Order: sequence, then C-alpha cells, then structure tokens
Amino acid sequence: MGFFQKPFGNEPILTKDDLKQVVKKKKGPRAADWKSTLLRLWKIVDEQRALLIVVLLLVMISSILALVGPYLIGQMIDNYVMHGELTGLGKGIVLLIGINVLLAVSLFLQNYWMIGIAQQTIYRLRTSVFTHFQRLPIAFFDRRQHGELMSRMTNDIEAVNSTLNSSFIQVFSSVLTLGGTIIIMLSLSPLLTVLTMTIIPIMFWAMRWITRRTAPLFKEQQAAIGALNGMIEETISGQRIVKAFSQEERMKVEFREKSLRLRRTGFWAQTYSGYIPKVMNFLNNMSFTIVAGIGGMLALYGHVSIGVIVIFTEYARQFTRPLNDLANQFNTVLSAIAGAERVFALLDEQPEVETATTQKHHLLGQVAFKHVYFKYEQEEETYTLKNVNFKVEPGQTVALVGATGAGKTTILQLIARFYEVNKGEVLFDGVNVQQMDRQSLRSQMAFVLQDPFLFEASVRENIRYGRLDASDEEIEGAAKRANAHDFIMKLKDGYNTVLAADGREISQGQKQLLSIARALIADPKILLLDEATSSIDTVTEMAIQEALDTLMQGRTSFVIAHRLNTVHNADMVLVMHKGELVEAGPQQKLIESGGLYAQMLHSSSHHLEE
Amino acid sequence: MKEVFSYVRPYKWPAIFALCLMLLELFVELVQPLIMAKIIDEGVRAQNQGMIMQWGAVLIALSFVAFLAGVINSYFSSHTAQSFSYDLRNAMFDKIQSFTLTTYQKFSTASLITRLTNDVTQVQTVLFMSLRIMLRAPLAVIGSIVMAFVVNAKLALFLVIGAPVILIFLIFMVAKGVSYFGRVQKRVDRLNRVLQENLQAIRLVKAYLRGAYEATRFDEVASRLKIDSVKALRVMEYIMPVLLFIMNMSLLAVLWFGTKQIATGTTPLGDIVAIINYAMRMTGSFSMFAFIIIFYARAKASAERMAEVLSIENEVEDTSLSEELGHTMSYGELTFEHVSFTYPGGDAPVLFDVSFQVKSGEKLAIMGATGAGKSTLLQLIPRFYEVTNGRILVEGQDVQHWELQELREIIGYVPQQSLLFTGSIADNVRWGDTQAEMDAVLQVTMQAQIHASVEDFPNGYDTRVGQKGVNLSGGQKQRLSIARALLRKGHILMLDDSTSALDVKTEQSLWEALSEEKATMLVVTQKIRTAKGADRILLIDAGKVVAYGKHEELLQTSTLYKKIAISQQEVEE
Repeated sequence: MGFFQKPFGNEPILTKDDLKQVVKKKKGPRAADWKSTLLRLWKIVDEQRALLIVVLLLVMISSILALVGPYLIGQMIDNYVMHGELTGLGKGIVLLIGINVLLAVSLFLQNYWMIGIAQQTIYRLRTSVFTHFQRLPIAFFDRRQHGELMSRMTNDIEAVNSTLNSSFIQVFSSVLTLGGTIIIMLSLSPLLTVLTMTIIPIMFWAMRWITRRTAPLFKEQQAAIGALNGMIEETISGQRIVKAFSQEERMKVEFREKSLRLRRTGFWAQTYSGYIPKVMNFLNNMSFTIVAGIGGMLALYGHVSIGVIVIFTEYARQFTRPLNDLANQFNTVLSAIAGAERVFALLDEQPEVETATTQKHHLLGQVAFKHVYFKYEQEEETYTLKNVNFKVEPGQTVALVGATGAGKTTILQLIARFYEVNKGEVLFDGVNVQQMDRQSLRSQMAFVLQDPFLFEASVRENIRYGRLDASDEEIEGAAKRANAHDFIMKLKDGYNTVLAADGREISQGQKQLLSIARALIADPKILLLDEATSSIDTVTEMAIQEALDTLMQGRTSFVIAHRLNTVHNADMVLVMHKGELVEAGPQQKLIESGGLYAQMLHSSSHHLEE
Repeated sequence: MKEVFSYVRPYKWPAIFALCLMLLELFVELVQPLIMAKIIDEGVRAQNQGMIMQWGAVLIALSFVAFLAGVINSYFSSHTAQSFSYDLRNAMFDKIQSFTLTTYQKFSTASLITRLTNDVTQVQTVLFMSLRIMLRAPLAVIGSIVMAFVVNAKLALFLVIGAPVILIFLIFMVAKGVSYFGRVQKRVDRLNRVLQENLQAIRLVKAYLRGAYEATRFDEVASRLKIDSVKALRVMEYIMPVLLFIMNMSLLAVLWFGTKQIATGTTPLGDIVAIINYAMRMTGSFSMFAFIIIFYARAKASAERMAEVLSIENEVEDTSLSEELGHTMSYGELTFEHVSFTYPGGDAPVLFDVSFQVKSGEKLAIMGATGAGKSTLLQLIPRFYEVTNGRILVEGQDVQHWELQELREIIGYVPQQSLLFTGSIADNVRWGDTQAEMDAVLQVTMQAQIHASVEDFPNGYDTRVGQKGVNLSGGQKQRLSIARALLRKGHILMLDDSTSALDVKTEQSLWEALSEEKATMLVVTQKIRTAKGADRILLIDAGKVVAYGKHEELLQTSTLYKKIAISQQEVEE
C-alpha cells in the first residue's frame, strides 16, 4: 500500500487533516464559492444568449439523432436482418443515411458556434481583467509579482478556456442523452433499467471521494504555476544581474524548487482525476454484466426477446457513457473553477476610489497640502509623510530637495493621486482632490518618472504617448527641444525605429530625453519632474534646460533633482527631511535663514572646493 | 517534436507499464462483446443457464482486473507526464540561463514565459492523456477492426473501406492544425508582452491617462488571439463529423450486405450483431479521436516552440574561449587595448579603439555625453558581450581566456537601473552571496550608507521589497544595489551612474566609505565632483576616447571636459 501513498517519492500534499478541513469548509462557504464562480462565468457566456440557444437546440437534435440511430438498427435487426428481408432493410438504410447526414451537420454547426461563444467569453474575460487592471490603485501592483499576474491572464484563463470549449456541449448533451436513454430503456424493459441504475449511488460516492481531493489540488496547482511564472518573469527581466553576480546555478536551484512544487501538485491532481474514468469504466462493465447475465436469464424464460437484450446492452453503455462524460467534465470544470476563482479574485480587487463627480475641473494650477499624513502599507507604524503643509500658487515652480527616502517622490505621487492620503487633504484650487474626477485631474498633468519606461514601439509612438493626437511635426519639434532629435536621427530608422523590449539600442540618458519629449508634447497644467535628468550629462542637460524652462512657464511645476543647479530658478523650495517638510520658501530666503537647505548647499560647494 | 519528446526517455518504463495496463483494460473491453455473443449463442439460444452464469462470472472478474489496472495506470501515467514536464521545464530554464545577452534579443521575456509554462502544459496534457485514455481510442478502433475480422472477415472489410481516405484526411488536418496552433501560441506571446509592459509601466499609463488607450491596445491583441483560436479550433472541427459520417456509412454497408448473406444462409445472425457492436464501438471512439488530433496538433506546435529554445547551440555563453594562460596576480588590474565594439546585429560601432589602463586599487571615472557608450564599456568587462576588436585584460589575462564564472566572481557590478528582487532587504543584499553572515551584510550596508534607512523601517532588514523594489525610493534602491555588489568583495567594482539619485551629503559619505575598498573602481558618472575624486578620468564621446587623465590635466587639455565642468560649477560656485 505504501506505493499508493508515496508513489515515486511524491509525498502526499493533502493529509487526512487537510481533507477534514476541506470537508468542513465545503459545508460552509465552499460550495457557495463554486456556485458563485460558475454563475459569474455563466453571466459572461450568457451575453450571447441567442447563439447559445441555437447551439442548445442543435445539441438536442444531435442527441436525439444519436439515440434514434442505434434504436433503428435494433429494430432493423429484429424485423429485417433476422428474416433476411432486403426491401424493408433498404428503406431503413435510406432513413439511416438521412439521419447520419443530419447528425454530422448538426454536430458540426453546434461546435462551430460553440467555439465562437467560448472564445468570445474568454476574450471578454481577458479584456475585463485588463480594463480592471487600469482602474486598480498603484498600491495593488506594488504588492504583486508581475509574472504572477500574467499567469492569471494566461494559465488560469487557459484552464477556463479548455473547459468552455468542450465541457459546455458535453455536459448538456450528456444530460439529454442520459434522460433519453433512461426513457427508452424503461420502455424496453423497466426491470433491466432498474438493475442498470443500481450503479448510480456507487458512482456518487466515488465522485465525492475524488473531487474532495482534486478540487483543492487544482487550486494549489494554479497557484504553483503562478508562483513559477512570477519567478521566471523576475529572473529573465533581471538577467543582467543574474549574470553579473553569476547566480545562474542558484537560480536553477530555486527554479527547481518551484518547479517541483508544481510537479507534486500536478501529480496528485492528475492521479486522482485519473481515477474518474476508471471508476466509471468499472461501473460500466458491471452494468454490462448485469444486463448480459440477468438479461440472458430473462431471455431464457422468454421474458424478453434476444433483440431487446442486444439493444439493451447497447443502451446500458449509452447510459453509462454520458455519466462517464459528465464525471470527466466535472473534473475539468473543477480545474476551470480553480482558474476562474483566481481570475475573479482580481476582478474583485477594490478599484481606485471613485469620486462622486465626473465633471471636468479646469485647473488653475494652485496646489496645496493640508496636514497630509501618508503611509504605503496600512500595517506600517511610521508614516512616510508626516503633517505636510504647503501651498503653491498657479504657475510657480517648486523644487523638492532632501535626502533620499525623505518623501519627495511620495509627494509627487500624491499630487498625481496614485495613492490616497491617510489623513489630511490634497487640494487643487482649494478643492479636495477626492472631490475631483481623477481622469480630468490627470489629463491636466504630465509626469516624468524616475525610471523612464519605453514601450516596444517606434520612437515616434513612444513620444506620442504624451498626447495621442500630436502630429508628426509636433513630435519632431518636441524631440528637438528635448535634445533627442540628433540621436534619434542616428538610429536605424530614425523616428520609426522600433525599440526593443529592453531598449538596449538607446542609453538610460537617452530614454530620459525621450520621456522629457513625451512630457513636452503633453501640454499639461501641472508638471511633475521626478529626477527627470538624473542620467543625462550636464552639458546636454544645459541644452535642454531652456526647453524645460519654457515648459515650466505658466504651469505649476514640481521638480525633484539632486543637482542643485536644476533648482536655482525655482520660485519655492520645499526641503524634506524624514517625511517632514522642514523648510519652505524662496531659495534666497532659505539660504539666509541658515537652515538645513543652507547646510546642504554648503556641503556640496564645500566638496567642490576640496 | 523529437527534441522535446526525448525527455520522456528516462520514464520509458513507467510509461510502458502504464501502456500495458491500458492495453489490459482495452483487452477487457474488447472481449466483452465476444462474451456477450457467447452468452447469447451458448446460453440463451441453447437454453443453458449454467453457461450464462459462468460467462457472467468471467465478465465480472475481468471488470475487476480492468479497474485495478486503471487505478495503477493513473499513478504511472501522471508520474510520467509530470516528471517529464518537470525535466523539460528545468532543461529549458537551464538553457535560458546559459543564453548570452544577445540570444535574449531573439525571444522576448514574455515569449520565454509562455514557453516555460503554457507550452509545457500543452505537451504534458497530451502525454498524460495518451498514456491514460487517448491511445485507447486508436487502439480501440484497431482492436475493434481486428476482432471484427476474426468474427467475419468479409463483412469486416466494409468497415475499413473508408480507412485510407480517413488517414490522408487526418494527416492533412494535423499539418494544418500545427501551423494554426503555432500562430495561436504566438498570439499568447504578444498578449503576455502587452500585459508585462503595462505592469511595468503602470505609473506612466496612469500619469498620462492612457488606460483607455492601453485597453484598446490589449483589446487588439486579445481579439487577434480570439480570432486565431477560433480559426484553429474551427478547422479542427471538421474532423469529427467527417469521421462519423464515413464510419456510419460503413456500418450501413455492413448491415445491408450482412442481411444479404443471411438471406443466402452464409452468415449467422450472431456475426452481424457482433460486427455492428464493434462498429458502434468504433464510432464511440471517434469523438475521442477528433480530440486527440486537436490536442496532438496543439502539442506539436508547442513542442516546436520549445525545441526552438532547446536547440540553441552556438549562442550560449562560452565559459572560456581558450585555455587559461595564467594571469599575473595584479589584483584588480584592468586594461583595454584598442577595443572596438558593435552590438550584434547593429551596424554602427558603439565603441571605437578604446584604450586605457586602471592599476590595482585605482579609481577610474568615466564620463561622457548621454549615449556616448559608457554603460556599454562596462558591460564588456564581465563579458556580457564579446568585443569586436582589440582585447580587454583583467589581472593581466584576456577576459576571453578567463573562466566566465571566475571572471564574474571578481567583479562587483552596480547597474544603472537598480533592479531588486522579491524578498526581504537582507535577502536582496545577500543576493550575490547567500551564505554571507549578517555581520558582513551590516558592514556593506553601512558602507553603502543604507544601514540607517533600513533600521528606520519597521521591520528592519526583514522588510519585504515589493515588486522590483517599488516601495523604496530611488536612492534607497541604488544604495541597496551598491551594498549587494560590495558584499561580493570583488577585485573590480563597477558603478554605472549608480549614485544619481543620492543627495550630495549621502553621496559624499558613500565615497568616503568606499575609499577604504581595495578593489579597482570604475565609476560612470555625470558629476565632475565625483570624477575629481578619481585617480583618472576617461572622457568618451560618441564611442571614442577624447580625453584621459587627471582632473586638473583635463581642465587644461580638454575643451569638452571644461565645458562639462563649467556647466556644473555655474551654480555651485
């Protein structure tokens, strides 16, 4: 028996205690979970009701035809074949040919349309997850591995996909066939029918035993694939580091661990679900035997004709086949549920807080923070921002300075409303940001991020990202002002060069130039520059400074820069220290007051004089 | 296909055993109608109750045997399938780890991810299904035909009349399916790619309010995937009705000619009943048969994609291009001799005739305009790419003669974009040396000026780093990434503009702390202030060295350097 518990060294994943818990849970919300998951899936499928009804009708037709065929053959054997009567048989055969043509056509059509329905459902599921992604708060993405999220979109939806393709028709036709077969069997011989049905309770018991194990295993399996996907994405994206630190071997070991987890869950899930057809087969054979043995005896005493027995055995198998199919489908449905649950879990994530109004608010550009407290994780004890207060008038340029980790980027992210404040208010023109429509707000802002990101698209498209209706001339104009034009022209296809996924054709500094061009084209009311020029050499920086200055004119601008010369023409300097705003005011005033800013300035020039 | 399925070989015995068990099951199933005929002919016809009981008992006994065989088969087939896919995944991952950075250009990350998960699943499913049930269908068909021939060869002939047509038809369909499903998998790659891009750029997308735009873009790839999936599946849908139709026609032929023979008295009724029974069995297997063809085509398409990865031979990293020549033990010394470099597939050289030398323990600052080739220069040292011309000597030996592992072990590299991994802060610092003691970790974090910040976190060194370090500030990430490199205690330390997000004070302390390091240092920087602290400065412009020397010298000799200096001192003075 040892082999059955730890075959090939595969330790069982479900212990007896685990199973007990599963059973307990099953009585509670578990069953409801399944139901609601299936129901939600059904809602998407149901969007194509008209086509679905057609498919169901076709399934009905083909199920009936499939039942009529063998019945007719049975009749023909009894009536014509046994007596060698060819004319009757000829008519029967013509009828059967007709039936078979109809059967083939209806089978083809139902599958043809069902594929359409299934793929449309999958497509809807995918796009709704993606659209939902766009509405989720940044904080959601901070906590999750990209690869894991990607797995939900591919591997989990794939599990739903393969089920939808086959199961729907299967389940429906199985139920129909089952019903039909029982009726015909009853009409042939009620006694034999009852005998055949004796296997049903055994079947239910067996199914319960198996699904109690497979359901949690499938879930675990999808989770294991997700974790594996997460790791793959990270290691391949970070391949340069892996190589630089020659950690390939360790990565391989780590991969094996995750891969092994998948193998173990996969093994058990497959083994248990592999039982289903075997049990069904066994029960199938049993019923065959029952019908053959007892039917034979009945025939002996003349209760039934031989023809009836022949046909009945066929029906007995027809009876178990849909049951068998149902059982098999049940299992794939379980794996689909495991996948669907994970997909719906994403859809259930709370989207960014919606505001009551969708009215477009035309910003004048005044920005104020009032007693703002903020932390990234609710569990954290300390706040990243503590009681931050400031007010910036329209058109002013604000420089944020302070040590790394002081909270400068956080302030910009709050202005862009990537996160919601914990306490206090962020105000635009005196209106709380939470009272404003996020879309309208962001449409009037441009953000140049610390890590420039370029899409796998042409240079032109990457700049156009700032404003989708920008003309080619405008794009070139922006690129020229951002000092990017020259290097772009040196690329293989100029503005049409498609940047590779890792953007290796261009340097980090050039990426920053492109993202500045992107901001230049956006024409925002409020401009947020987070270390926008950190990787750009200072000579180039000087060249684009003018462009940035023009850009900042008439717009409220927030600039983070460590090179203090970027700061010099700011109207206001905000000095951050450990999440607190310690000084604020025009540069000259801060220098005179001799506070932290003056010290910082001093230390950098002091260094210079060394 | 062969390439991929060679991974089944280690499990051939379990696989064969599983197949045998399946055959046993199948045998039982095939024998049933025979016994059935016996019960009818010898039992019912001959009014022999004993016979019925006897054959009935045989039937039940056989069923038990089949059941037991089935259960054991389940263990063996899932073992084979899962272990096979486990090995396959690992082999692919190992292969991918050995790729050169150039080879990575061939496959997008997204595509590699699909191949490692989705494609493996496709093949694994097919293997499992074939061991368990799939092969049953073709075998059941063949078995039924054989049995039918045994019962009555003349009548059975009608059953196989359509066979050649079916065979040609199926071969044609498989070929079609493979190309269609190959396209579907490519679409999955695209979908994955758009998704990955969006996850990476989520802030950008939100900042520029491009949610709707991205949704359209995704919609496009998703609907392409849908259209291609529908196309592929619909093409495959022709299989089943065609098979069924041909089969049913054959069955009717049997019925017709069988009846004729009964009329002439040459064939007993039992024969016809049995053959019709077998024929129906065959039709029953056909829906499974259609399934197999679809799955097989899918798996074949996936297997071809995996073989693409596995069969890459010449582009894996060579550990050492020729035998070791024995290096002069000049710790951390680095020499570039007339190095030129063009990216593989690129047309213009990125570096041109670069020569310089950094002595043991010296610090070289590398400056230059955006896109001048600074980062590229650093990447040649650990041999991420091979030089096109000239050579690079590390500790007196050409890097191409170094054992790759050894070479990289003596280099500490801090990339421009500080990439961190999921895990705790301590894990991330230890990333290059998992065995490092906590003391060592503390030492380097102090050196990298990140210790105090880490201590300020509520969970200290156990604080989890979010996806690629999103919960840390730019400067914190850079310093962690420096600490990670320092822990390696390399002979050569390369910092690629890794202090850009640090404030002046922190950076100053960092350089002071690093001055104790005995490693040779290569520092790419934009800041004259940082460069001044170096022993020498290498100024490159458009891939060429335009100035090389000390700060004061360069101020005199290089107009470009002077220009840079002016651009920075303007405010600071």
